Amino acid sequence: MSNQSLATSPEEQRALERFYFHEARLLDNRQYQQWLGLVSEQISYLMPSRVNVQVDNRARGNEDMISVERELEDQESMGCPIREETYIHLMVRVERAYKINSWSENPPARTRRIVGNIELMAREDDSLSVLSNFHLYYARPGNEDVIYSGQRRDTLLSQEEGFHIGRREVVMDYANIAMPTLGLLF
Amino acid sequence: MSLHISELVNEDASLISRRCWSDERVYALEKRGIFGKSWLFLGHESQIKQPGDFVQAYMCETPIILSRGQDGGIYANINSCSHRGLPVCRADHGNTKRFVCPYHNWSYSVEGNLMTIPQETEVVRKPDKSQLGLKRVPRVEAWRGMIFGSFDEAIIPLDDYLGDMRFYLDAFFDRFPQGIEFMGAPHRWVLNANWKLPVENQLGDVNHGAFLHSSIIPKEAQDMIEKLGYSVVTTPGHGATFRLMPEDSPIDEMAWGMEGMGGMFGGDEVQNYLREVQAQAAERVGDLRARMKGLTYGIYPNLSFLWSNTSFKVSHPRGPGKVEYWSWSVVPADAPDSIKKILRTNYSSFFGPAGILEQEDSEVWVQQFIGSNIDFADDRPYYYGLGLGEEKPHAELPGLVSVTANEFYARHFFARWRDELQAVEGMV
Repeated sequence: MSNQSLATSPEEQRALERFYFHEARLLDNRQYQQWLGLVSEQISYLMPSRVNVQVDNRARGNEDMISVERELEDQESMGCPIREETYIHLMVRVERAYKINSWSENPPARTRRIVGNIELMAREDDSLSVLSNFHLYYARPGNEDVIYSGQRRDTLLSQEEGFHIGRREVVMDYANIAMPTLGLLF
Repeated sequence: MSLHISELVNEDASLISRRCWSDERVYALEKRGIFGKSWLFLGHESQIKQPGDFVQAYMCETPIILSRGQDGGIYANINSCSHRGLPVCRADHGNTKRFVCPYHNWSYSVEGNLMTIPQETEVVRKPDKSQLGLKRVPRVEAWRGMIFGSFDEAIIPLDDYLGDMRFYLDAFFDRFPQGIEFMGAPHRWVLNANWKLPVENQLGDVNHGAFLHSSIIPKEAQDMIEKLGYSVVTTPGHGATFRLMPEDSPIDEMAWGMEGMGGMFGGDEVQNYLREVQAQAAERVGDLRARMKGLTYGIYPNLSFLWSNTSFKVSHPRGPGKVEYWSWSVVPADAPDSIKKILRTNYSSFFGPAGILEQEDSEVWVQQFIGSNIDFADDRPYYYGLGLGEEKPHAELPGLVSVTANEFYARHFFARWRDELQAVEGMV
């Protein structure tokens, strides 16, 4: 992926924004079943683990020395990503939210997310690589309120009825995980 | 208010005071009487294979560097410079020749010896560097690749400390020709809970599954767990729960790993591998242990092994009301990389900081601390009496054995905990 985003027409940029804002509203309104409709059944939903790595002396003076990528134990690595999920996992999470005995969701969290910095990075046929950032405010009784911050690296599939999320990799910006869970739908 | 340990845990440990979970003075005694006196888990040899390899660890709140020396030996040192106390290692893991303090550049070998003091050339009386290495953990021993350290020089050997738990751990470790390995850096996260509740949960609390996890675990699966389930305590504080599968069970029901997300949906390659492991199990671990399908394991004071989802966990205290929980995915060392990658999802799907079940466990651990930290209820200690006295020796299984509903694993833990705190009572 080049470091430059693709030039998009105002219509295309607007279409991407509409999709992401709609998605954010569904999630904050706890309409997870409708959200699942935006997700491809072949989805890979990933969250790399993020570690404090040793500085590589040979890379000193280079941007590579402190690159974000070096900190990630992702799907390709022999470490252990925090999430490597399929449609089945997401379905389980969504279904749980509407069960009366789902104690981690009852009472449900109050969330509000702002999604921005939407950049189309690559296009191949109907498949779009899109980056976006989010800040997500999260409040639940019994826990301190927290703000989740991160980047989403998506592959969107452009289909007749609109976009579908074919792949999502969520890169979280924590140094230490001081949040009650990283199991939300980001 | 005065604090007497004998008033916190009664004789048979069936009543446990709320103060055990929330009092700062109890925590100070725990540091001295338990974390200063026990074997504490530091890491696995698979994490430090080459000379110069290191990982970070903790012994209670004390940061430790666990490393492989240039001589091939295993070293554990406190991660704090002898000059001004800063951590000399900042990376979670890596390979290095030197640990260097950022403040004045005192530098240490990977074994923890002080190598250079840049300022010493400018003074007349040179410090004796041989006395100024990182503080070494006085006892370090390993069993089956699992490395433990102790601050107590006089502690019994690790083998004896683990005792009959080795029988149950080997039921897993010995299933694989090359043992197990830990995958990557631990997942670490902080919860507003007391360190002992995750420990208790993983020591033998199988029976919350039917309730807390009822939105995820099907009732039939939980019924099967309880029907075939055993709970054992080998030494107070060490325990295991597992299913003993009927001899005529189909291999897919017997085999480790099949019931996880990776095992279920990972395809033929992984399933054939798991069947092969099971086919050799009787030869490797004997008929009885081949039928054993583990659930939870606990090693006193704060190491847990969740066999069913193949994860080791350590509950590091950060005060009475805070815990830093660490967990690793564990896989057979001999498995091809492609299979290891699938098997790690047996852990991460349900456990770890985003785990579907862990989410529910963390929720109640945090809520339990809220209940333990209230006033005007000290006359209502927690009831730990379920199954009191119903555990018995067993012909084939070492230790005391009972049904999983018997809370004896927790009573034994707290009886040991009480005695160890009483031994240092008045010293803090």
